[in-house]
Amino acid sequence: MAFEDNNEGIESYVNKNVSQTGIGIANLPNQLHKIVTKKGTDFSIILVGESGTGKTTFVNTLFTTELITPLDDSTRRKKQCDKTVDINIHKAELEEKNFNVKLNVIDTPGFGDYVDNNDCWHPIVDFIENQYEQYLRQEQQPVRKGLVDMRVHACLYFIRPNGHSLKPLDVRAMKAIGAICNLIPVISKADSMSPTSLKLFKKRILDTINAQNIRIYTPPVESEDESVTSRNRDIVSAMPFAVIGSSTEVVAPDGRVVKGRKYPWGIAEVENDEHCDFKKLRSLLIRSHMLDLINSTEESHYDAYRTAQMKVRKFGEAKPKATDNKVFKDEEEALRKRFTEKVRLEENRFRQWESKLIAERDRLNKDLEAEHNLVKQLEAEIEAVQTSSPGNRFNRK
Amino acid sequence: MAVTTYEESATNSPSVYSQYVRPSSHRYKNAKKGLPFNVMLVGPSGLGRRTFLNTLCERAIVIPDDGENAETTKLPEAMKIQHYTVDIEEDGMRILLNVIDTPGFGDSIDNSDNFKEIQDYLEYQFDEVLEEENRIKRNPKFRDGRVHALLYFITPTGHSLREIDIELMRRLGSRVNVIPIIGRADSMTVDELKKFKKRIMQDIDFYRIPVYMFPTVDDDDEETIEENNELRASLPFAVVGCEEVVEKDNRPVRARLYPWGAVEVDNEEHSDFDRLRYVLLNSHIGDLREITQNMLYENYRTEKLSLEDNDDEDKETSSQASSN
Repeated sequence: MAFEDNNEGIESYVNKNVSQTGIGIANLPNQLHKIVTKKGTDFSIILVGESGTGKTTFVNTLFTTELITPLDDSTRRKKQCDKTVDINIHKAELEEKNFNVKLNVIDTPGFGDYVDNNDCWHPIVDFIENQYEQYLRQEQQPVRKGLVDMRVHACLYFIRPNGHSLKPLDVRAMKAIGAICNLIPVISKADSMSPTSLKLFKKRILDTINAQNIRIYTPPVESEDESVTSRNRDIVSAMPFAVIGSSTEVVAPDGRVVKGRKYPWGIAEVENDEHCDFKKLRSLLIRSHMLDLINSTEESHYDAYRTAQMKVRKFGEAKPKATDNKVFKDEEEALRKRFTEKVRLEENRFRQWESKLIAERDRLNKDLEAEHNLVKQLEAEIEAVQTSSPGNRFNRK
Repeated sequence: MAVTTYEESATNSPSVYSQYVRPSSHRYKNAKKGLPFNVMLVGPSGLGRRTFLNTLCERAIVIPDDGENAETTKLPEAMKIQHYTVDIEEDGMRILLNVIDTPGFGDSIDNSDNFKEIQDYLEYQFDEVLEEENRIKRNPKFRDGRVHALLYFITPTGHSLREIDIELMRRLGSRVNVIPIIGRADSMTVDELKKFKKRIMQDIDFYRIPVYMFPTVDDDDEETIEENNELRASLPFAVVGCEEVVEKDNRPVRARLYPWGAVEVDNEEHSDFDRLRYVLLNSHIGDLREITQNMLYENYRTEKLSLEDNDDEDKETSSQASSN
């Protein structure tokens, strides 16, 4: 690679082919491989979707281990009329062939489940932005060794298959989330739609996404290897992915033991490409594009956030707290009022006490003066008595 | 107007007309035109309401929305109320089925207004009948629009009832017979469906939601009691709707085709559709109508009239006070 020779006389890089045997520059990728393998990586994904769309099952199927345990009945009942969206973080360390991944799966129970779902995506957007903020702050610290990186690398948005198109809630939420994070729309419970209606549904969703300018994650397609390119093209053409989740194994009619769902009328297999797009999504998330997800989060989303923040804040300054949560604002107001009231009462009390003390002091002073006057009077009398009859002095003996 | 009670239960009598307190001219009209039966379908979009209607009437009554505009998806759709009238012949009996569909229910981001709209519609029908009853000269062509049954489609989440389900059934249960249905039931396996049904019934019990429970009276015969118990145990009905007819074993069946099998609509093991149809149009049509007319309507009437009485009393006392 040769740089342009510029007129200021700076030396340009001249292409020099090092001798045939090489000095070992080409070994750098191997060194990098060792370093990365030792270090491991962090991978965080957030699951967004109404309850019952198969988020928990999907994650457990994807990582072939029960990462999230389904809620039991009593907990679920408490959540039914709760009206809040929770953020639950599940951490796990996965190891495969000596490579470690610190996995964070963030669940959002309560999203879209209530009668009034206005702003239910705000806690999620806040969470993602907070992770960027945390990372930003850590980067600015003098000691940067133990960085905790919880930046969200992918958001899986689960769409309920209703056979028509996206709901208004989906559109609003996806727009907000897709702007700050890699958004991957997923059609859940794909086994409730026939292949033709599924195709139509996918098309309608893509149309809506384009019409509403929702930003979704598109993996890079081109690569040097032809087979990789064609595989990538397959993956992209299947978006949004229609998945089925199941961690139970069943016996198929032809005798194979597969992960699937057993119905009275047949078995829907998870890893069968004709039944659903699970394998493609797994490939996207883990096998082929995990690095791209991590990089694009760090390079474009986090960078955009950082740039925006640095334009308005100085280095090291804290983020101004956005108090746009109305409930908190009201509570804050009420607390403030109570506090002011209390302070006022106490001040009154003190003032009264002070005035009482002053009155007391004045009274005592007056008494003192009266006594003083009395003493003066008596002294004067003594003087008078003394001066009037010097001879009548008392013989002190 | 005196209300006489009926002697026989609906399922035993050969003709359901004999129980209704209407002048004979109306009875004659019913026999000719068909028994009026009003059903309301409520549920979020995509659960198969319209397909259910088409499957129920065995012909395409309503065409599902096809060309939805991508630009307007963002705008929250207000809930609409649409009417369809179908003539059905069931077991030799003619039924004038009036179906009221509610597209847009539960589809907006904030659905708090939807309940009020439906409740207003139901009460409006009651008001119409109340007014008609009080007329000196009755309208012979009066159409009774009181809703006899409300089929509520529950989303097959596999967990339990959602807040919107609880709210709706609770608020409307005092004005109409609510029958809970699980739509798109082919997305759940047999086990999941059993657990889901159980949890829903537990929720209905816990929140004390009034639904139509196939009530029996003590002097019903064994068969009826057993039948009703069975029906109660299979609540909510898991429904799969489909209009396409495919070939299976050289017979035409209504079924949904998947790469891994075909779900038959009329197969008892695959869906409760047939049972629901029988209940709705055959065995319990009389019971549903009768409860609407003799219990729900009468309750509403009492409430409304006593409210007016209280208003009048208040007016009297206030006028007395002002005149003093």
